[in-house]
Amino acid sequence: MNHFTGPRRIATPAPDLASDGAAGAPAISDLAPAVSGPVPAPARARCKRLTPARAGVYAFLIAAALFFLLPLYVMIAASFKPMDEIRQGGIFALPHAVTLEPWRQAWSGVCTGAACEGLRSGFWNSVAIAVPSTVLTILLGAVNGYALSFWRPRYANVLFGILMAGAFVPVQVMIYPLVRVLALAGIFGSLPAIVVVHMVFGMPVMTLLFRNYYCNVPQELFQAARIDGGGFWRIFLHVMLPMSLPIIVVAAIMQVTGVWNDYILGLTFAGREHLPMTAQLNNVVTTTTGTRAYNVDMAATILTALVPLTLYFVSGRWFVRGIAAGAVKG
Amino acid sequence: MPFARLRFLPRFFPRIPPRISPQMALLPMALVAIVGYLGAALWTLRISLTSSRTFPSGHFIGLAQYQRLFDNERWLLSLHNLAVYGLLFVAATLVLGCLLAVFIDQQVMGEGLLRTIFLYPYAMSFIATGVVWQWLLTPGDGIEAALRALGWNVHFDWIVSQDMAIHCVVIATVWQAAGLVMALVLAGLRGVDPEIWKAARLDGIPAWRVYLQIVLPMLWPSFATVLLLLATAVAKLFDAVVAMTQGGPGIASEVPAKFIMDHLFLRSNVGLASAGAVVLLLPVLALLAPYAYARSYAQRHREAA
Amino acid sequence: MHAAVRRLLGALGCALALGAQMSAQASAQAPRAEVIHWWTSGGESAAVREVAQAYRGAGGVWVDTAIAGGDQSRAVTVNRIIGGNPPTAAQFNTSKQFVDIIDEDLLGTVDEVARRDRWDQLLPAPIVGVIKVRGHWYAAPINIHMQTWLWYSKPAFARAGIAREPQSMDELFADLDKLKAAGIIPLAYGGQGWQDSLTFSMVLANLGGRALYLSVIRDRDQAAIRSPAFRRVLLAFKRLQSYVDPASPGRNWNDATALVIRGRAGVQIMGDWAKGEFTAAGQTPGRDYGCMTGLTPDSPYLIQGDVFVFPKTEDAATLRAQRLLAETVARSDVQLAFNRLKGSLPARLDADVSSLDPCARKGMAILRDPQRPLGVSEVYLTPDQNGALQDVLTAYWNTNMPVERAQKSIASALRY
Repeated sequence: MNHFTGPRRIATPAPDLASDGAAGAPAISDLAPAVSGPVPAPARARCKRLTPARAGVYAFLIAAALFFLLPLYVMIAASFKPMDEIRQGGIFALPHAVTLEPWRQAWSGVCTGAACEGLRSGFWNSVAIAVPSTVLTILLGAVNGYALSFWRPRYANVLFGILMAGAFVPVQVMIYPLVRVLALAGIFGSLPAIVVVHMVFGMPVMTLLFRNYYCNVPQELFQAARIDGGGFWRIFLHVMLPMSLPIIVVAAIMQVTGVWNDYILGLTFAGREHLPMTAQLNNVVTTTTGTRAYNVDMAATILTALVPLTLYFVSGRWFVRGIAAGAVKG
Repeated sequence: MPFARLRFLPRFFPRIPPRISPQMALLPMALVAIVGYLGAALWTLRISLTSSRTFPSGHFIGLAQYQRLFDNERWLLSLHNLAVYGLLFVAATLVLGCLLAVFIDQQVMGEGLLRTIFLYPYAMSFIATGVVWQWLLTPGDGIEAALRALGWNVHFDWIVSQDMAIHCVVIATVWQAAGLVMALVLAGLRGVDPEIWKAARLDGIPAWRVYLQIVLPMLWPSFATVLLLLATAVAKLFDAVVAMTQGGPGIASEVPAKFIMDHLFLRSNVGLASAGAVVLLLPVLALLAPYAYARSYAQRHREAA
Repeated sequence: MHAAVRRLLGALGCALALGAQMSAQASAQAPRAEVIHWWTSGGESAAVREVAQAYRGAGGVWVDTAIAGGDQSRAVTVNRIIGGNPPTAAQFNTSKQFVDIIDEDLLGTVDEVARRDRWDQLLPAPIVGVIKVRGHWYAAPINIHMQTWLWYSKPAFARAGIAREPQSMDELFADLDKLKAAGIIPLAYGGQGWQDSLTFSMVLANLGGRALYLSVIRDRDQAAIRSPAFRRVLLAFKRLQSYVDPASPGRNWNDATALVIRGRAGVQIMGDWAKGEFTAAGQTPGRDYGCMTGLTPDSPYLIQGDVFVFPKTEDAATLRAQRLLAETVARSDVQLAFNRLKGSLPARLDADVSSLDPCARKGMAILRDPQRPLGVSEVYLTPDQNGALQDVLTAYWNTNMPVERAQKSIASALRY
């Protein structure tokens, strides 16, 4: 367990770092030298000069941004075109006859089988699956990470190693044993089943995140809490958990994205009444011998991605701030 | 005493000896690890020694499935593709993510917007973004057509080439993952002690050298985690291949996870698929076991000292 | 008077008793069927809705569970059967996909309906061979697709100076050359594994003939596979590759059809589901496009279809629902309504297809001729064997594999 990742790290975790660069690693070009003397110390420049180096930085970032945005442009353009235009080709062309029909269809009209309700019906199912999965998996990951890094019971590292190895196995391989186990437990094809399955598959990464985070918390803090009379659960609930808010947000983002975008597990384990939105999305986009409506496919994909995307927009700051508090060190 | 109030908190449960609490708390993890992962691995190993088709059977045939596996050109090609893909993907994502993080760290304008632009691909599922990448990379359409329209006479037919199809999968998956790596590295950078920068400035070291020789090496624990996450993504590569090339042209971009999945369900050959899964797991175990042993050895060493 | 009153009272009593019984039956559960299928695109959804409506009309409750992607849908079906939560009915293809499920004794039979409707005489022989196992009927077929139609663009043929449809493989190659000379893509192609298999089946059926097709695909006769005739088939298959455009690998089949629709390509070899694309683009057969069932008058008509299977159950209500579904699906009018929207043919040979389009009518006439229909490869091969064959074909199509090696690989792929 590494306490220090560099020289003289301060003992309190989560230094207050704003993530939009207002206070953080200061730009090299305007660090004031600490020495005072015959050379007058220049004041911290208010405006940054546009040196060739900075221009290069901006050029690279803009080029990268264009690369990242290219597919999104194609998707959005296609989602506003009628199918005739798409059949004609030219994926970069702006739509001639802009139409909102694909969006309306994707949300409420597209036929997925004998039901023609679009993606709308799966939305609340996805929410019902995502919320308990995220909360329970994060809770378990936090407890695991806490126990692994501070208490270190015997053979805990072996169990952790098994989890890490299991994270490499493709999900499909484990489906059959899980089906049998859940059938034996009598909950196959229901909401608890899919939540349990997401917990099983989310546990390795969540445990890794929290374990690394707590490894960065200095041992002295923990020992002080123990001396003051805290037991396992007390220290966890009253000391560690409140301190872990940044990493909890990070874990929530990763877990929600994973759960929201999953459809294989949802199809197999959730039972008919709880099919997630991505199962509907899969029905819309994937057909074997039917005709494909690409514009509806694109609209449907963007609609499905809106929830994780909104989460990113809203918690973007928190995301970076959380990891800054030491999740990935050690 | 900073935590004195702990003693006065109401007690809901009888006092449990501190030894047992962590072990009880780890019970779910133990259950998942042993019943879930270990159990599934052992079951898969058992099935790989049988002649199971749609359903698992008890008919043992020894190592015949493994023989058939390594006789199978598609499987061997998938292993080769995984190695090529793994190296390229991890290297490209790391480099791109680091570059993006370092450049954003320079207090650029619109940092929030840029960060979101680089992160959004991670939120989109590959079912449809894969189709978009197929459109972009198809010769005669997409990027090649656009560049030709601008006057450059380029040939960009990687996606239909036997040798280069897997590289197209690299491009699309780097697009998806680089943002996550950027965020992780950026956060690490933000945690670096400001004293380092001051000291470096005093010594007159140029910025790029500070990054390359001082700061980035300090972040090696971040890189270790990132590498682990990327490695698991490589082993499980499936959605991207299915959405973009369906393993084609022919079998040129086949990957192990797709081979296993195809044989599990489509080909109704659970035995062969299980053998493939076991073979896929072996290098992971081979790498993790000595690493874990070395870590516990170093730990015991440190504690003894 | 006394007798009349007594009779009246007797009648009243009977009526009451009957009414009570009827209300008791009405208050009993209507048959409820949960059906897993993969008909999720626009036309397919409309088609399956017809079946659902008919089922409701017959007094049942249709619970729809659509899962896109054939193998995904079948995987969910199998997993749910294993997990103890099976659907009432599930869609499969006429193939050996469910032979293992039958062997594990997990499927129920539909013998009463089959015997009552005399499916032995009503269905084409290849279909009967697949759904009747050891004397019992395990599936209710609803439609028949033909896999190897040739679709061509009439304007493109006119531009290339092709006056009539090709009547042999050599004439087909000559026509493809003319299309190439006219600057049109000769063969619209989508380079995916199953499409390679489909094209090969067409060449094997048309060039190799019925006997060779059966000995290779059904009997897996090693001598037939290594024969010079089969070698010729493989070479002709590979020769077709010189007529596709460079962007064909990975292309979806409907994008290839779009090329023919736009007149940019001449010919496509595809199943009759391609008809839906032509219709959606507003084209009519005979004027804008042509449909051929084969190159020679006696070429094998390769059929596949969709069936409903019924997971085994002890529950009386479920059994009733399954029986009702089998009866509904077997009805002529239901099959017509479904197939009109799906683009395939009814499974019943006695269905009246005069209301379907000319291509469908052409197909039905051939279907009724007992000499022409043969099953597609998955009717005779297990999914594993079929997949192994496809792997060799797709590698042969895409690489410089010599034909002898392809022959050897196919021989070993079909040996197990």
